[in-house]
This record gives sequence, structure tokens and C-alpha cells, in this order.
Amino acid sequence: MVGGLALLLGACATAAPEPTPTPGAARPPARPGPRPAAYESEDFVVTFAQPGDTPETLAARYLGGPERAWMIEDYTGQQAFSPGQEVVIPRRPWNAAGVTPGGYQIVPILTYHNLGEHAKGRLVLAAASFREQMTYLKTNGYRVVSLGDFVEFARLGRQLPQRAVVLTFDDGYRSFKDLAYPVLKELGFTATLFIYTDWVGAGRGALSWNDLRELSAAGFDIQAHTKTHADLRRAHGETEAQYARRMHAELELPQELFNKNLGRRSQILAYPYGRWEEGLLPKVKEYGYVAAFSVRRQGNASFVRPLAAHRSQIYSEMTLDDFVKNLNVFQEENLR
Amino acid sequence: MRPAGRRLAAAAVLGLALGGCASLGGEPGATGPGKSPDAPVARDPLAARHRQQAEALERDGQLRRAAEEWRIVLTITPGDARARESLQALRARVDGLVAERIDEGRKALARGVQVEARRKFLAALALDPSSRAAFEALQTDTREVEFISHTVRAGDTLAGLAQRYYGDRSRSEVIWETNQLPPNPRLAPGTTLKIPEIPGVPFVHPEARRPPPAVAAIPTPDVPRPGPAPAPGPAPVVPAPKEEYTSEVNPLLAEAREALERSDYPDALGTVDKYLTSKPGDREGLTLKKQALYGQAKSQIEARQYPESIQSLTLLTRLQPDYEDASALLKQARTRLVEQHYTQGVRFYREEKLKEAIAEWRVVLEMDPGHANARRNIDQAERLLRGLEQRMKK
Repeated sequence: MVGGLALLLGACATAAPEPTPTPGAARPPARPGPRPAAYESEDFVVTFAQPGDTPETLAARYLGGPERAWMIEDYTGQQAFSPGQEVVIPRRPWNAAGVTPGGYQIVPILTYHNLGEHAKGRLVLAAASFREQMTYLKTNGYRVVSLGDFVEFARLGRQLPQRAVVLTFDDGYRSFKDLAYPVLKELGFTATLFIYTDWVGAGRGALSWNDLRELSAAGFDIQAHTKTHADLRRAHGETEAQYARRMHAELELPQELFNKNLGRRSQILAYPYGRWEEGLLPKVKEYGYVAAFSVRRQGNASFVRPLAAHRSQIYSEMTLDDFVKNLNVFQEENLR
Repeated sequence: MRPAGRRLAAAAVLGLALGGCASLGGEPGATGPGKSPDAPVARDPLAARHRQQAEALERDGQLRRAAEEWRIVLTITPGDARARESLQALRARVDGLVAERIDEGRKALARGVQVEARRKFLAALALDPSSRAAFEALQTDTREVEFISHTVRAGDTLAGLAQRYYGDRSRSEVIWETNQLPPNPRLAPGTTLKIPEIPGVPFVHPEARRPPPAVAAIPTPDVPRPGPAPAPGPAPVVPAPKEEYTSEVNPLLAEAREALERSDYPDALGTVDKYLTSKPGDREGLTLKKQALYGQAKSQIEARQYPESIQSLTLLTRLQPDYEDASALLKQARTRLVEQHYTQGVRFYREEKLKEAIAEWRVVLEMDPGHANARRNIDQAERLLRGLEQRMKK
């Protein structure tokens, strides 16, 4: 009954001429059939859910692709709509900084190292645990975004889904290709690999430049983790000149290899051991990195300092509960 | 009585709308140019609902959300001159407030009050999340991080401290990084560690009995966003804005309230946090959380657990800076903590534990750089220590 009324009312709205141009009209329709009634402006689409509509179908129809479903879910606070229900769809980002009167968004960036059939030590995670963790993200509405998207968020240049999470893998282990990649591909997740260039092609356990080119072509992001994986802080007794030479090797030589093998430089750095100090930041910037990451176990607000952002390492001994503790996406704070 | 009446009226309006629509004839979807002049009846109830929401939000001080609602009104009825004016006036008001907050933030920075500056810039961003001035001030000029000083006691481990302060052993890395410790450090009793606050980590009191909720916090789509409107059928067209707050009592909330009544603050906080995880930003939940934090802080001060009380009060003043006498209590707790460290230093000194004494007084100076006695005592103890060491060499 209600649905029927809504449909009629919807048809009625269609019949009304739109005084404003509809930006969506220029695009080819996302799916065949007559377009349901909607009011449209540059800022919003106000429409009514059709039977079978989900945030994905609505995003495909009005936002140019189902991958934008998060905009509808985040704006309306709903994941499902009943037929005839009014749905307000934002056409543009509405909260670039992720700050609301009730607090602010924080983005967890997870760090993995090696994977194996079985866990070994802290840094070789069992493949089954990895699958369990990724499945948890999927079934609990987390949205895996790329590290590049996060970097734009940290420049006020891109709104992220409220439950955005980033995945990173350090060092460049072959196990990424064998064990992580299939899971990520299946779930449609992207990730960044931080590789230290001395390790590339260094044996059976390491990825080669060829592997990295393939992964890059498959949509994974490759970034630098220095040349030798040494602590980048100035060592005790190291002279200014020695330190400058060492930093050139650790920060510039990887760039040259990136250029040669991937056709581009690296823009994002992972500090070896997560270690950094204030004096290091200008050097990191000088060599062309726009963001750099420690392993301080906390999420990132949009206004985090990009060269001192945080990641949370996932260890093999963590239970699923331990893992989930690293997924907080909001800091409550009264900002009214 | 009244809602029923309104429902009938609404149904009548919708009936008219349907009638009007049907009379347009059997060409659904054919929207050629120069067709029917307008169908205001269909748009108007919809636009009216959003107009009412805009006004309610504006009255409630939720200005950014109100501006969005005005834009929705204009999406539905682009010719609504009154809505356009309202939006313009509101935007001017928001811009003014944002500029004011940024100015206050800069003044706070100039006075060296980082915490206040941070709050002001954040408040500016809450009003306008695309304000580049507020964003950059926060990112480049403001160093946040409040922390508690912890004096290491025998048996302390980083993981133990992380469990105690964050309810999560693996956060030991944050303490490790903040204090720039070597790998696998041994913690010497008497040394002090900075324990920073971690955004997004659920509050866990050291003595809390229950583990923190295993569910990660869910972001709030702004404090109460009126749910998407019901299907346009014979339903009340305009929901009263207050309706969202009145719901049946949530069992978790009831449990939390009960815990609060028996002064079991850790239990109350654990439960209310669990509730807030599913309903972030909920007013009732937040009110209860503030009451529990306040009660807990007071009882901690009585029990002389000053670091713990400072932690509770810091959380409380973050939620509401002017809550009761929270800021006065915070000051009091800090003073008492300074005294506690100072007398502990004196006690160590009397027991000839000079290094431990110095460590205690250093904490005092860190919290109160103008503490002359602590400074004098450190000098004295260091002189003694040097003398002792020289004698040992001979």
C-alpha cells in the first residue's frame, strides 16, 4: 500500500519539469530502464527507493558507480531502504576533515609483515588468521581505502568513508603474492607494499621487481621502506656529513630504483622500525616524500602531521579481539 | 489526539497530490519540455518536512546540518526564495563563527595554551569541515597530546602499563615510542614515563573489572541525524524533532544507571561505553558517561588516586569543559599529585635512595616548573650523589 503510493507519487514527481539542469542527465544511465523520479541539484539527489534498491544500486544510478555506496550509507546512516522510502543522496563530499560536533574520524592503518601457512614468531602471521581478519573487516562494514586516498584525506583533499581502514605490508615478502593477494583480490581490498630495495629479488622469500610490476598493474600500491632498513635517526657520534650521505643512500637510491623499475618515484615512506625524530622530517621531505609512517599503535585524524603519521602492527599472536582493538574509527569529543 | 488529526490532514493532502497526478494522464515518464506547469502539491509536503528539520537543527545549534537541510529543501523546490535567504543567512553566521573560533585558537596558541587552541580549531572544523585555515592551524601549529606521568614501580612492564591505562597490552608500543625507549627496555623503578592519551581508544579505568567492549567504535553520522523520512504515504508528514530522543529504555543504559547508583563507576563506564558503541553521540548515554566520570574522579581523589582522577577528569572535560566543578577538581588533583610526588621524594631522600628521590622531584618539576623546593632538593641530592660517587672511586 505504502509502496504503491510512493510509486505513484514518484511518477508524479517525474511529470514535473525540473527547473534546474540535472548534472546526472549527461551521463549514460547506469542501468537500463526508465529512471525513477528524483529531485536533483548540484548538492543532493532526493529520491525514493525502488523495490530491490540498495546503497549500491542507488550509487550506481546517481553517483556514477556502486563503489560510492558509502556516501549514501554514511550520509543517511542506513544500509538498507524499504521501497518507497525517501533517500537523500549527497552528490559532493560533505565532511572533508571528518570532524563533527560529536568528535572526529580516525583512520586505522594496519601493518603486516610476512605470512605463512602457520604462525612463526611475531611477524609471520598464519594465512588463516589473515583471512579471518580480512573477513571481519568485510562483514563489519569497514571500507578498505588506499594509502594514497588517506594521504589526500590528510591534506583536506578527500573525504573518506566513516569506517575507512588502510592495509600495508612491510619489507616485500613473497608471501604477499602467494597468501595475501588471493584473499585481498577475493574481497576487493587494495593495499600498499612498503619495500626496502636491498631486499627486492634477494632470494626465495622476497618479491622481485617483476612481481612488483605485476602487483602494481593489478592495482596495488608500491612505496619505499628505505634501501637497507636501517634506523633513520642520526646515530650517536655520526657527523653531519656522514649522516647526510647515509640519508642520501637510504632515501634517494630507492627513488632511483623505483624510477627505473616502476617508472615513477615513491611518495610515501615507512620508517624502518617505525623510528623517526624531528630532525629527520625535513630530509624526508627534501627527497620527495609527502607522507611517512611510524608504527605508533593509533589511528590517524585527518589533521595528523603527514610525515609523522601512525600505523598499527598486527602480530601473529593477536586474537581476533586483539585485532579488533586496532579498528577504532572515531574519537568522541564534544566540539560544540 | 493531535497526531491523528495531522495524519488525516496529511492523507488529504496526499490524496490531492495523487488525484492531481492521475489527471496528468497515462504517460508516465514522458517529460517533454513545456509540459505541465508544475506539480507543487507533490513537492511541497516533502520540502516542508526538510524545511522543518532545517529550522529545528538551526534552533538546536547544529548549524552545518541545518545548512545541508536547506540545500535539500532547495533541491526539491529550487524556486523557494525564503529557503535561499535562510541558507545565505545561515552561511554568513557559520562563516562568522568559524572565523571567531580560529581567532580564539590563534590567541590561545599565542598564550601557549595548546589544549585550548586545539579545541577551538576543532570546533571551527566541526562547523565547517572544509575550513583550510582551521585545518592547517591544527595540523601545523598545534601540538596536542596530554599525558600523565607515571613513576615506574618494581614489577612494572610496558605491557602491564598499557593494560592499566588503555585496557590493551599491545598499546605498550605507544608508551615505548613516546618515551623513545630502546628495544626491550628494562624499566628502572623511580624513572618516569609519559603515558599519552590515544585518540579512539575506549576508556578503561585501571581497576575496571570487565574488558572493554570487543566492538570497535562506530562513527556517529553527526549527533542525532533525523532518520531518512518515512515513505510518503498517509503518515505524519512532519515528525516532531524531539521524537528521536524518546525511545524505550535500552537495557544497557538501565544497567549503567544502576551501576552508577551503587557507585560502581568502572562498571557504569564499561556499560555506558558499550551502549555508546552502538549509539555514538547519544545524549542520554553521554550524560550518564559524564556523571560516571565525575563520580569516579571524586572517589579517586578521596582514595588519593590522583593520576587516575586526573585521567577521569581529563576525559570528562573533553566531553564538556564546563561540567560542574570539574576543572577546579582537575587543578586540585594536579596539586595533590605534585604534593604526593614531592613527599615521596622526601621519603626516598631520608632512606638515602637519592636517585629515586631525584626522579620523584623531577616529576614535580615537570608538572610544576616553578616548584622551588623540588629544584633545590634536586640540586642538593645531586651534590650528595656526586660526592658519594667520588668517594666510591677513591
